[in-house]
Amino acid sequence: MAGEGVGCESGMSAEWAEVELVFLDASGLRGAARAAYLDCACAGRAELRAEVESLLAADEQRGHFLEAPPSSLAADLLERQPAVLAAGERVGAYVVRSLVSRGGMGEVYLAEDVLKGERVALKLLRRHMTADAHAAERFEREARAAGTLWHENIVRAIEFGQAEAGLFLAMEWVDGETWRVRMRGEVSPGEALDWSQQAARGFAAAHEAGILHRDIKPENLMLNLEGAVKILDFGLARLGGELVVEMDGAGSSGTISGTLSGTLPYMSPELLRGETATKASDVFSFGSVVYELFTGRHPFAGATPLDVFEAIECRTPVAPSQLRTEITRKLDGLLLSMLDREPEARPAMTDVAERLASIRGV
Amino acid sequence: MDSMPDSERGLQPGDQVTRLLSAWTGGDRQALDDLIPLVYGELHEIAKRAWGVQKSDHTLQPTVLIHEAYLKLVGHGERAFQSRAHFFAVASMAMRQVLVNHAEASLAEKRGGGAATVPLQEADEAVQREAREVLALHDALERFATLDRRKAQVVELRYFGGLSIEETAEALGISTITVTRDWKAARAWLARELGASPA
Repeated sequence: MAGEGVGCESGMSAEWAEVELVFLDASGLRGAARAAYLDCACAGRAELRAEVESLLAADEQRGHFLEAPPSSLAADLLERQPAVLAAGERVGAYVVRSLVSRGGMGEVYLAEDVLKGERVALKLLRRHMTADAHAAERFEREARAAGTLWHENIVRAIEFGQAEAGLFLAMEWVDGETWRVRMRGEVSPGEALDWSQQAARGFAAAHEAGILHRDIKPENLMLNLEGAVKILDFGLARLGGELVVEMDGAGSSGTISGTLSGTLPYMSPELLRGETATKASDVFSFGSVVYELFTGRHPFAGATPLDVFEAIECRTPVAPSQLRTEITRKLDGLLLSMLDREPEARPAMTDVAERLASIRGV
Repeated sequence: MDSMPDSERGLQPGDQVTRLLSAWTGGDRQALDDLIPLVYGELHEIAKRAWGVQKSDHTLQPTVLIHEAYLKLVGHGERAFQSRAHFFAVASMAMRQVLVNHAEASLAEKRGGGAATVPLQEADEAVQREAREVLALHDALERFATLDRRKAQVVELRYFGGLSIEETAEALGISTITVTRDWKAARAWLARELGASPA
């Protein structure tokens, strides 16, 4: 019988079954009605009544009991070491100011170049991780990938080196906010067009250099104080067919990276199927982000992760213009083609950049 | 490819999980014992990455982890979707085991000592409190299971697995109304047992 192994049969004692029934009925009643119901349901059975009343009392006092997961314990299980570096410590030519974020393999700090007085984001691979040759190699490859890219819309790698605390990668510090943060407020169609054009140029340059991002999401796109878009975290970048690294970057939050890398809601259908990332899968992810930027709604929004999976796989998103009237058919067509389920049907990133640039006024 | 017998194409990890899941569904209890270690290792790995990154965030979503572990272990397609509900049940058991083991370890061992650069006293207190709560809940849940096995499973799926009412209903093959009622009764029973300390 299907489901038997899961224990669908209730397996409860008769006494408890009765207690439960009376409890559930009584909990829906208040005051005199409840008392009258209990008088009747427990007539002559003081034990049953006491049992039910103790449950009713517990139910009323339970507050948020069991509603939140044991998050501190869970976090502790996985993240036992405190930050490696304290403020004021020196790494190469940099002095650590504060901890920005931490990931599975290391941390990102705000630090200052003592000679130039310039602020940098210092990504550190913990020393015990550098003992893991594989992790060290991947970190180094990420650094090389980052060093290969030189574009005004991609955060710049400054120096890669080894210090006592571990391997480090110093990167350009971006003062500003992520798209995720900006998307909590109102984004005008003009702003959305400007930002997505800039980001598309950055991604197109990376693709031309043969580098994939593989984790495009609003947390990895920043807008600096001058209004320039900076792409963060080519941490999952693949260079020459080799996997680079899985560490999360500055200021981003909650990447779930594993063998199945990338952030779930922005993953393309082929990545969900476990296929290898391609330029087209970057286009899909970027399409999801831009769609959300223009409409305020994720193209595959769903109540549970599974709904999102199924939508990515099976559903064609509604035309953006139906969600926001200012959006033109031309932009509609571009966004929907980026989100095509067939990778071959999606435009190349350079195409995306050109087509966005050709759209004047949304 | 699905029509080929396993022996002809080499066993993938996903095949093994799927095979064990269907054996378990078919009533083979031994299959569960073989399944847990496979799922446990995977969840632990994924949780390490996800929770490690999300520490500063308060949103901890075990259900996302389970989905991801599922995709990775079992893969995709119709075959996979059929056994998804059972996988959730197994994964929730594994999550419970992971947390209980860790709670025991963190209470047993005197933490700290030596060269911590950042004092984490506050975090330690929260961890110790939750460790005690998880162990107390675990024990109470064992007792509750002898009284009402299904409701104890509902708690396991909801609390340790982070599943929604709907997902729990699917995993146990019961209606959402039944899950809602079970959840209410189970919480009242457990709150009474535990003196409702973890409010």
